[in-house]
Formats: sequence, structure tokens, C-alpha cells
Amino acid sequence: MAEEILEMKNIIKDFPGVRALDHVNFALEKGEILALVGENGAGKSTLMKVLSGVWPYPTYEGDIYLDDQLVRFDNTREAEEAGIGIIHQELNLLPDLSVAENIFLDRQPLNKFGGIKWEELYHNAEKVLARLNMNIDPRIELGDLTVGKQQMVEIAKALSLDTRILVFDEPTSALTESEINELFIVINELRASGVSIIYISHKMEEIEEIADSVVVLRDGATIGDKIQIDQVTLDEIITRMVGRDINDLFPKKEFQKGEKTLEVKNISIPDPFNPDKKLVDDVSFAAYKGEILGISGLMGAGRTELVNAIFGVYGKKREGDIYLKEQKINIKSPADAIDNGIALVTEDRKELGLLLDKDIVMNMTLPSIKKFSSKFAMDNHAERTVAEKYIDELNIKTPSPDVFVEKLSGGNQQKVVIGKWLITDSDILILDEPTRGIDVGAKTEVYRLMNQLVEAGVTVIMISSELPEIMGMSDRIIVMSEGKKTAELERSEADQETIMKYATGNKGVE
Amino acid sequence: MKKFIKNNGTFIALIVLVIILSFASPSFLSSRNLTNLVRQVTINGIIAVGMTMVILLAGIDLSVGSVVGLSAVAVTLLMQAGLGIWLAILITLVGVGGVIGFFNGFMSAKFDIHPFIITLGIMTIARGLSLVLTQGVSVPVTNMTFAVIGSGYIPKLPSLIILVIALILGIFAMFKTSIEVRKGEKVRNKAKLTVGIILIVIGFIAGFYSFIGYQGIPIPVAIFAVVVMAGAYTLRKTRFGRKLYAIGGNEEVAWLSGINILRSKTMVFVITGVLSAASGILLASRLNGASPNLGDGFELDAIASVIIGGTSFMGGVGTVTGTVIGAIIIGVINNGMSLLGINSFYQMIVKGFIIILAVMIDVLNRKETA
Repeated sequence: MAEEILEMKNIIKDFPGVRALDHVNFALEKGEILALVGENGAGKSTLMKVLSGVWPYPTYEGDIYLDDQLVRFDNTREAEEAGIGIIHQELNLLPDLSVAENIFLDRQPLNKFGGIKWEELYHNAEKVLARLNMNIDPRIELGDLTVGKQQMVEIAKALSLDTRILVFDEPTSALTESEINELFIVINELRASGVSIIYISHKMEEIEEIADSVVVLRDGATIGDKIQIDQVTLDEIITRMVGRDINDLFPKKEFQKGEKTLEVKNISIPDPFNPDKKLVDDVSFAAYKGEILGISGLMGAGRTELVNAIFGVYGKKREGDIYLKEQKINIKSPADAIDNGIALVTEDRKELGLLLDKDIVMNMTLPSIKKFSSKFAMDNHAERTVAEKYIDELNIKTPSPDVFVEKLSGGNQQKVVIGKWLITDSDILILDEPTRGIDVGAKTEVYRLMNQLVEAGVTVIMISSELPEIMGMSDRIIVMSEGKKTAELERSEADQETIMKYATGNKGVE
Repeated sequence: MKKFIKNNGTFIALIVLVIILSFASPSFLSSRNLTNLVRQVTINGIIAVGMTMVILLAGIDLSVGSVVGLSAVAVTLLMQAGLGIWLAILITLVGVGGVIGFFNGFMSAKFDIHPFIITLGIMTIARGLSLVLTQGVSVPVTNMTFAVIGSGYIPKLPSLIILVIALILGIFAMFKTSIEVRKGEKVRNKAKLTVGIILIVIGFIAGFYSFIGYQGIPIPVAIFAVVVMAGAYTLRKTRFGRKLYAIGGNEEVAWLSGINILRSKTMVFVITGVLSAASGILLASRLNGASPNLGDGFELDAIASVIIGGTSFMGGVGTVTGTVIGAIIIGVINNGMSLLGINSFYQMIVKGFIIILAVMIDVLNRKETA
């Protein structure tokens, strides 16, 4: 058996009213890539905060052993010095400083006057970057790098601290395919050089590709023992995560296609930074009752811009016409769209979907406040009753409707956003990346809900970057590339290769 | 208990301040002094109610002091020109307060300019207008009945009846909330309810002692009370109030949820403009005339009251009740230091420190809860 570098034993962490970690046990071997998986709110982040000294002893109970030595960190600095590094989902870097300064922040080599020895700094940075086989000039400003390269700088920073245990928290959420591949190569090299890795992710395919072993957390407790990745199927992992069988990840139901509800003709949105370019370029499509229309495409293909245009976000800058049940309608603002029965669940729920420091009730009833007020006064009783109903129907886990939404996990926050738009009783529901960043269990719940809505006569339009999701849930698929609609595919004609071909702008032979 | 102190810090600070002053200066607690104190608070307090809404939207209105000055001048000159009292007041409220407020709100919301800039401009423009209209000298009020608005009293017996009705209504409201809490329809901790009842009872006793013990409720105080109640009701209960909290919380989210940002923002600045004009009219009435420099620096007291009262400068969080306590604290400090014979130059310094202290406490509290 390989030597254990880290062992966490019986870790308990309580927050007021909830036990976030309940006797968590796991061990990490030298040179191992261990995937830590679990639904949002399962306790992964809390566990890593305990490990990295964000929560010092004795705010938690239990023991952490590093090389069989009991350690108790008072702060993150001590954990860093002991060789524990974390690559956060949101990078912790300063975009206006050079790459080298970011790597050696606060640890720059100084001359005797306290000035920075620049050449030595750059040289040291080059050495660290070389360990990652990264061809990045340490002199350039960090902000000029792509997100993927910035992440490499963050990894380099961790390596420069002699990190022996490196935690990746959802590292691929902002990366492109090729950047993900590059990242995996680096992670494998790190393992080869003896660094042990804890890899947190929602994406099962990634875990299958990169991890040696898996530990599942559910409701703050480890479920079963650590398992080697080759001795387990993805379905088994998912079952452990959600505590129930998920036979079908995409519970797609087909209904009778009904009347044409929404039709858009020749929608264009000019690019504010480039007059020769268009964010959305002459897109037309129709959506029908009883179907889910999927919109696929790569990042920056103009999908979000297209649905925003329909929702009135661009005001008068939008070109083209919008028809509801064959009637031309005039949408100049989101308020107009809502009045016409169109709802948009935005992609960025934290910045565009929710009032984070407000309670669930207020968030849910915001687009429909007219329904919950007489001429002047709000009917607090009515809005509360409706909010409670949707909390119940959407299975939102919260102690009360008065909880601030920032306290909820990602999946539950997403359900609040969806609930907020369901309360408007809109005929057309547009979902922009409805399952991004939420866990498998919550995803399936969202899919089931989409089925119910379609059955109830709502026209559902879904943007998704995940091909399995688009193919699994849509009746028809529009593919976009560089602002243009490049294909419209029936469910039966859509496979990954075809969609990708159109998404990359390649018209192909067909 | 610790939480109780933290949540009601300003209120406790006010009580401590009152206790200290009542020992330091025997005349502080006299009915006459307290009546005067409250009347002084009203001028700033009426503006501060509007300012609460502005800051709730993460905005600022620097023009309120100049609007006070211009309104005082306008109402005086209109009466000199032979207009009746009520017509002069109406024209001033709408023509000065309403129009300036509309301009402030519309310009900043429509063209997405920070209200700091717009209202800074208007601040100078309105002050310049007052100077132009008066040629730089004070103008006297010619209509003697006009003085009643700012200096008159509601007689003792009606005052007593009003106070008792307010007490009964207040306790009734608390009682209703406590039933809702028991039914589980509202989660509101008991401490808050207790504070509410304490506030109502203290308010009643203080009101009884100061007003009935002197000459009755001053008319400006009655006007202030109405403004406060209307403001608190607007923010807590109305659709408009809900929209303000939403916009202050996250303007983009509010807009995407169908809220008309332009209309709400403009409305808030109009309200603030009209309230500032009302304050200016009261001041002119009290002083029996207007000088073009009236209201100079009032924006600072109004902003300070709002901030001391716990409204967040970042927007989205704040209450009118808090602002009233903030305004009273500033009034007590001004009044107390005058009683103690502290030079008004030093008063400014002390006030500045208190504002910084209030914000510091707020920031530290927030950090702890985050």
C-alpha cells in the first residue's frame, strides 16, 4: 500500500442550526488524484475550508493528520506552509499585476533597500512555469491571459509554495475543451512528481478521466469508503451522491406538438464594440406548444444574446420582429416581455437572477408583484402562501421562506429563480443554462419540471452548453455559431458530431 | 442580549446620550427644551425621510439644502406678490421641489449618470437662483398668518387625544404582529417586538411630557409625524417600497424582473424634492422670512441621519424608523452641546466624528455577520 499523506478523521463542523460535516473520514495517498464528489451543499467546500485553515481548530471537531502528524491550523497561512494549496473556482489573482508578481505575491526577492529584484523574480517564475511545461511570459500582465492560462498561474503559485496537497475546486467550469485537456495533462504531471490531488467536480466524465479514486459526500457525511475509479460505474457514484437510483438522467417525455406560440423573424443585435460585427445575426425560428426547443452552440455563439433580445434586454437596438400566436408584439424592455407572458431564467443567477441579500419570498414574487398587491399595499399573506407552495413543489431545501437566498446552495438558488418565473404563469419559459453549476439530483428535478411544464402547455426554450443535456431533453435543436443560426435539427437527427459540426460553423457535406 | 445590543445600537446610543445630557445639563429635560429640540429635528427629519429612499437606491441627493433655501425664498416672494398662503405653498412644493426632484431623478436614471454629479450641479444652480431672486438679501414674510405653520401649536387637549390615539394604534399594531408571529406567518424575533413596544411607550411618555407639559404639539412636529408614518408605510407595505428595496439590492435583477427603474428612481427624487421644499416652507414660516443662504449644509445632516439610522450606503437596506432615530440623535447632539455652551465650531467637529463612528460600527457589524 502506498503511503498516506493526509488523513481526516471524524471531522464535525456545525453551523448555527445545521451540521455541515458529520464524522467525515477519508485518507489521501501520496501521488493520488482523489475525486471528492457530492451534490451542492453536501459539504465539500466546508471540508476543504477545514483542511485549509479557513475554519481553524476548535471551530471544528476531529483530527487532521499530515504524514501521520496531528496538525491544527490556526489560519490559511499555516496550512499553506504545511503544503496545502487550493485552486478556487474563482481565481484569487490580481489582473493588473504581472504573472511573476502574482506567483510570488508578498514573497518577491528583495534587495537591501526593499526594492524588488525583478530579474530574479522573473527567473524564478520561469522556473516554476517550466515545471508545468507552460510557455507563459512571466513579464506580461495577468489580465491579458485567457482564463485557462490564469488558472495555470494559480497552479504555479501553489507549486512555488512547495505544495504537496493541491485541491482543485471545480477547476473546469470556466475552461474550454482544449484548456481542460491542457489542465488534465498538468494534473497528471503533478501526480507523477508526487503531488497529491483532491479534485472537486460535478462533471462525471471528468472524474472518470482524471481521478484514481472517489469519495462521495452526502449531507455532510462520507457515503461508503473510498473506491478506486476502475471498480465503480458512474451510475453507482451518482446513486451514492443522491441516495437513490437514477436510471435515466434525462427523463424526457414527448407530448403532442401543438400550435405555434412564439416566432421571431430576422433578429439581429449589433456588437457595441465592433460596428462590422453582429452579436446575433439575422436569426429566425419558431417555437411550439408541447415541445422543448433546445439552443446549442459554443461559448460566444450569441445564444444568450438571442434570448435576451427576445426578452427586451437590448431595447430599441434589436432589429427584427417578434410574434406571439401570429400576432406581432412590441417588446422594448423586460417589463414588456413579462407582460406578454415571456419569462427568462438567466444564466448568471447570482448577478442577474437573484437579490442575494433578500429573502426567498421577495425574490420569488418580484416579477409578479402586481399580482400580490392591491393598488398600493402588498398582500404579504398571499405572497407568502404562494412562495411556500413553490418551495414545496420545487423541493427547495430551506428552513423557512424568510431565509436570505445567499444562504442557499446553488441548486436551491436555481430553483428559487425558476420558481420566481413560474409564479408569473408565463406561456413561454426561456431557460439559459438552467443546470449550470448544480448537482446531478437537482438537475434531474429541473428536467422533470420541464416535462411538467410542457405537459401543462408551456413552450419551453432551453439554452445549454452540455450536449448530452441538449440531446436528452430537446424535441428540436437550433444550433448557433458566431451569431448565426447554422442548423435546425429534429430530435432524431441530432447526435454529438452533427451538433458540433454546426456549432463550429462547419456546414459539412450535408 | 449581545445580539439585542447589536441590532438596536443606535437606539441604545440615543438613550445613553439622553441620560448623560440630563445629568450634565438640568435644563435639558425641561418640557420647553424638549419641545424645541423636536421642532428643530423636524426640519432635518422631513428631508431625511426622502433621503432614506434615495440612499436605499444607492443614490445620493446633494441638492436638498439648496432646495430648502430656494423654496423658502420662493414661498416668501410668492406671498409678497399677493398670492394666498395655500396657493403659494402648492406652487412652491410642485414648482420648486417637484420640478427639481424630477430633473435630478430623470437625468440620473435616463442617462445613467451618478446622482452625485447631477445633484451637485443642481445644488449650485438652486442656490444661485435663490441669490438672484433675492438679490442676495433676506426677504421678509408679509402674511402674518403664515407664521402659524412653523411656530404654532395644536392646543393641549387635542394634542393629548392625538397622543392617546397614537399609543392605542401603536400597541394594536404590535398586538396584531404578535398574533401573526404566533401563527407562524411572520418570523420576527421577540426582541424586535419588545423593542417596538418599548419605543411606542417611550415615545408616548416623551411626547406627553414634552408637549402636554409645554404648549401642545408643535404643528411642524405633527407634519413630521405624518411624513414619517407615510414614509414608513410606503417602504414597508407598498408595492413601490418593495421595488425600491429590489432596485437597491440589485438594479439589474430588478430590471430583468420587469421593474421600471426610470419611473421608480424619478419618483424617489421627486418625493425628496417635495419634502425638502416642505422643509423650506416650514423654515421660512418659523423665521418669518427667508434668506438666500437658508438650508446651507442641510444635505449633510440629512445624509448623516440616514447613515446613523442604519441605512446602507450600498443600497437595498434601511428603514425610515432608523432614520428618525438618527435624526433625533443629531438633534440631541446639537441641542445638548448648545446647552453645555460648546462653541458651534466644535459642534461641527464632534458631529463629523459621530458620523464616522456610526458608519464604522455598521461596517464592523456587517463583517461579523458575513
